[in-house]
Amino acid sequence: MAYTEDHIALAAEYALGTLDADERAQVETMMAVDKAFAEIVQAWGYRLGVLNQMVGTIEPRPIVWENIRSELARTGFAQQPPLLSEGSTPSPEPASSSLAAVPPEASSGDTQQLEAQPPAADQPDTARAAPDAIPQITPVYMPQVHAPDPEIVHAPPPPVADNSNLIRLEGRVKRWRTIASAVGALAAALLVTLSLQIFLPDALPGGLRPAPRIQTVEVKTPVPLAASSQYVALLQGPAGGPAFILTVDGATKNFTVRKVGAPPEPGKSFELWLISDKLPRPRSLGVIGGGDFTARPLLASYDAEIVNGATYAVTVEQAGGSPNGQPTSAPVFSGKLIETVPPSQPQPPAKK
Amino acid sequence: MLTPAELVGLFEAVAKGDQAAFERLYIATRAKLYGVVLRILRRQDLAEEVIQETYVKIWNSAGQFNPALSSPITWMASIARNRAIDIVRKKSEVSIEEEPQAMEVAADSPDPLARREMTEELKRLLECVGRLEPDRQRLVLLAYYNGWSREQLAEKFSAPVNTVKTWLRRSMLEIRECLGL
Repeated sequence: MAYTEDHIALAAEYALGTLDADERAQVETMMAVDKAFAEIVQAWGYRLGVLNQMVGTIEPRPIVWENIRSELARTGFAQQPPLLSEGSTPSPEPASSSLAAVPPEASSGDTQQLEAQPPAADQPDTARAAPDAIPQITPVYMPQVHAPDPEIVHAPPPPVADNSNLIRLEGRVKRWRTIASAVGALAAALLVTLSLQIFLPDALPGGLRPAPRIQTVEVKTPVPLAASSQYVALLQGPAGGPAFILTVDGATKNFTVRKVGAPPEPGKSFELWLISDKLPRPRSLGVIGGGDFTARPLLASYDAEIVNGATYAVTVEQAGGSPNGQPTSAPVFSGKLIETVPPSQPQPPAKK
Repeated sequence: MLTPAELVGLFEAVAKGDQAAFERLYIATRAKLYGVVLRILRRQDLAEEVIQETYVKIWNSAGQFNPALSSPITWMASIARNRAIDIVRKKSEVSIEEEPQAMEVAADSPDPLARREMTEELKRLLECVGRLEPDRQRLVLLAYYNGWSREQLAEKFSAPVNTVKTWLRRSMLEIRECLGL
């Protein structure tokens, strides 16, 4: 490509959003006169745009659509929109203060789901999911139980000695590790509380809330510094994606396991274990319930150091859990916690 | 649930002036776009304005959308986000920070890992972001999600603005290299 690194960096930073107003104007001018450069900028915009998949949805007030419609009416857009007022949403248009009553997804789910929103049926639990809301946490992908250090673990020792598998697995492990690292930063970035300015008198707080199914509005209560950390581990098997997401509240040491993978075979249970080199043997954290969420305070009895450093592993046990308090099979999913600290606090791992 | 392909179909209809399709498109995408811009603008009035402008622009330029280059939602969010960034860059930071009646609405959750698969594109990008040093990862992601300026980032990371500038530039070039571009 004929463009210098300066050009590329400028394009990328435009898309990232960090240029100042003058620089942005400059880039826009360059885009206007140089189609190829414009394409580079747009490509960066799209490339980074996938990050928006992780941003929560918030319903705008109905007035916004009204305004769009009247704006477009000037250019011939129909005055009477069929859908919102009388089409697939038969309920009367709610007042602006009762956004939560707008049932767009519920009333015509075939048309209105955004790609980032699973159908309502997929998430009946989100309304009570606040305690393990994702943004408080930093996940890490550590597919191997006996790996004390993410920097030195390479590949899980699989039962099979097939070398090509091993290499493939190793690549995947590395990949997930780097992704996980970014997901942690991503969660931290999204954690920042929105300090929203209200100007319109009718803009009641209720009107700002996302639809109930999303349950993204939750005012974070400040927690003591030392205990403000949140932890998360993604427990995953060799096959890739996470099967369980374990979140631990630094203050209370309560943990929640969210099941995102398949249920156990009939007659079997998933049991969660804490494995620490400071403990002689794995400690059971209990059988993971059949629902999507299992929350327990069991970690409270362990030192923070153990909780932080432990590997969390899931084994398949007989229904109801291991009969003898010890895992009876090799873990199928495992991971380690990573800590998210408030951005204002220096974070040792951040220093090289 | 609208698949990207269905959204593309809506776009085609919108490009031909199909108002019902436009409304469906709005319904399907408004909350995502609003979430994106509200996070950056942190003011309901400004965010609503941006959403309005964005959809008017979408109506007028749906024909320019090229499904070979991006998904519909990415294209739309790109319009909305660029507009939001323009606004925050043109306003002084102070005027946004110090308006009265601020209210904490809250951190929204990312549309979680837990509930949906990340797309391959997102995984690829995160893989490359993940290779940056931890501080740089946060730098890049805070810049993206919150629309922070270099000055705001400098404050957050207790570093001189010029250093942040260098970090950002290098990080983006590293990401580019990692993506194999």
